[in-house]
Amino acid sequence: MSASPSSVQAVELKGRMLLVSVLRVYDTEPQNLSMMLAARRDEAPELMRDMPIVLDLEPVAEAGEAALREVVERVRAEGFRLIGLQDGEAARALESADATGLPPRLSMGGRGGSGELPLGEGRAPRETADQGASGEASAATQSASGPVAVHSATRVVDQPVRSGQQIYARGGDLLVTAPVSAGAELLADGNITVLGPLRGRALAGVRGLVTARIFCRRLEAELLSIGGHYRIAEDITEAERGDNRLVTLAGESINITES
Amino acid sequence: MARIVVVTSGKGGVGKTTTSAAIATGLALRGHRTAVIDFDVGLRNLDLIMGCERRVVYDFVNVINGDANLKQALIRDKRVDNLHILPASQTRDKDALTEDGVERVLGEMAEEFDYIVCDSPAGIERGALMAAYHADEAIVVTNPEVSSVRDSDRILGILASKTRQVEQGGDPIPGRLLLTRYSPERVERGEMLSIEDVGEILAIDLLGVIPESQAVLNASNAGQPVVMDMESDAGQAYDDAVARFLGESRPLRFVDAPKRGLFGRLFGG
Ligand SMILES: Nc1ncnc2c1ncn2[C@@H]1O[C@H](COP(=O)(O)OP(=O)(O)OP(=O)(O)O)[C@@H](O)[C@H]1O
Ligand SMILES: [Mg+2]
Repeated sequence: MSASPSSVQAVELKGRMLLVSVLRVYDTEPQNLSMMLAARRDEAPELMRDMPIVLDLEPVAEAGEAALREVVERVRAEGFRLIGLQDGEAARALESADATGLPPRLSMGGRGGSGELPLGEGRAPRETADQGASGEASAATQSASGPVAVHSATRVVDQPVRSGQQIYARGGDLLVTAPVSAGAELLADGNITVLGPLRGRALAGVRGLVTARIFCRRLEAELLSIGGHYRIAEDITEAERGDNRLVTLAGESINITES
Repeated sequence: MARIVVVTSGKGGVGKTTTSAAIATGLALRGHRTAVIDFDVGLRNLDLIMGCERRVVYDFVNVINGDANLKQALIRDKRVDNLHILPASQTRDKDALTEDGVERVLGEMAEEFDYIVCDSPAGIERGALMAAYHADEAIVVTNPEVSSVRDSDRILGILASKTRQVEQGGDPIPGRLLLTRYSPERVERGEMLSIEDVGEILAIDLLGVIPESQAVLNASNAGQPVVMDMESDAGQAYDDAVARFLGESRPLRFVDAPKRGLFGRLFGG
């Protein structure tokens, strides 16, 4: 195997949540790399389409600067949206040799997505900022001209979502009719509804839909995010926790109301 | 065809091996042909709890590798008819458990037994996945504290997707909760989660509640599964769990703190 299986991470960049996919490279041999990228695309096409990628070259740090640069080029040539390099030996070696055309170094957290929030570090990733801005712009257009076809279908989950599990409703809403455990993560381009206690993380409108909402039977969440803005458990008051909570975004702030 | 039961938890040291030994013994005592397999390669201790550590010649990995056949490796329990133990190897690591190998051995055993109990190692890595993969159902062992409950939740999530039954398009295997090392006094003092707390978080059926008990330690020192000590609270609680496992309904016992008398309340500290 030349790359790890898909891992999607919600990361904080400049105070906002952004959904990225980490691509960990274990083999720089061009043919193997191409096969790996193709496999990666097939394995989870819905996740990969236009999701920003952070490239982790650390497992092949020994390969040498020329080979690493070639990997970067190839990943771009395959149409992946590269927004960063996992910070480390390989990334630093590449950058010190020649920084032109390289994406910024980012420090991502561990595998798996859930858990602590990894923080962006080093230079601010310009592309990311742009993308965030355009996300907001398109959302603004939407609210002006009525809902655009941002969400097409609702993904329904009838089983409990357990710690360590992640569910992403791409291009639509997410409806969970069972409990969502602490350590679980829900993501949707549209709205999220949980007809049970929500004890994990819920990120609605992850590609910028600021009008997305989250509803849950009981709110005990670890993190709530809409359109990239978020609140962590520590900032959710006792009064805001409770039954039948609706979460919306007003300007830059996440509002929680009883409904 | 045997029914394969995995005893699993995520977190280490919560009582999986104690439970595997007790459940397997309880099933055999009721006349079911039962085998219990130690999947904890490298850290074997099921044989200790079962009191057969001095009779181990071959182990699970030997059978997988073809160094020995099943008959040679299976240890017949001396006290209980119908009970066999397949010990783990102490000298190998979990990579020795190959997918094909495990499948072949379980397939062979399935012909001869009614129940195969798989004692899973802790964690969510290869060894635990191997123990769970072929299971028809799971017993999730949990202690009444937050980290154990969290790990059990994690394991339940893995069970929902990583079993052969699911991969072949079937439903997730049923999993039931066995809450062990339960201390009603400590629950009352708010130092431990209650049965209701745990049930609410995990949202699965309850197979039983085993009290924190000195009898468990005594049993493991004696190399005799605690379920054989029917004088003890833990032995009786495990017996109840086995009965429920087989479809009987039995009320929960040993879950309330003993009511202290006036004397106790006045001078109990
Ligand atoms: N009900 C109980 N009361 C008191 N002690 C118990 C009880 N259940 C288990 N123990 C003790 O807890 C310890 C761990 O038990 P056990 O070996 O069964 O756990 P395990 O989950 O198999 O551990 P590992 O993850 O290392 O395989 C042992 O010392 C055992 O005696
Ligand atoms: Mg054990």
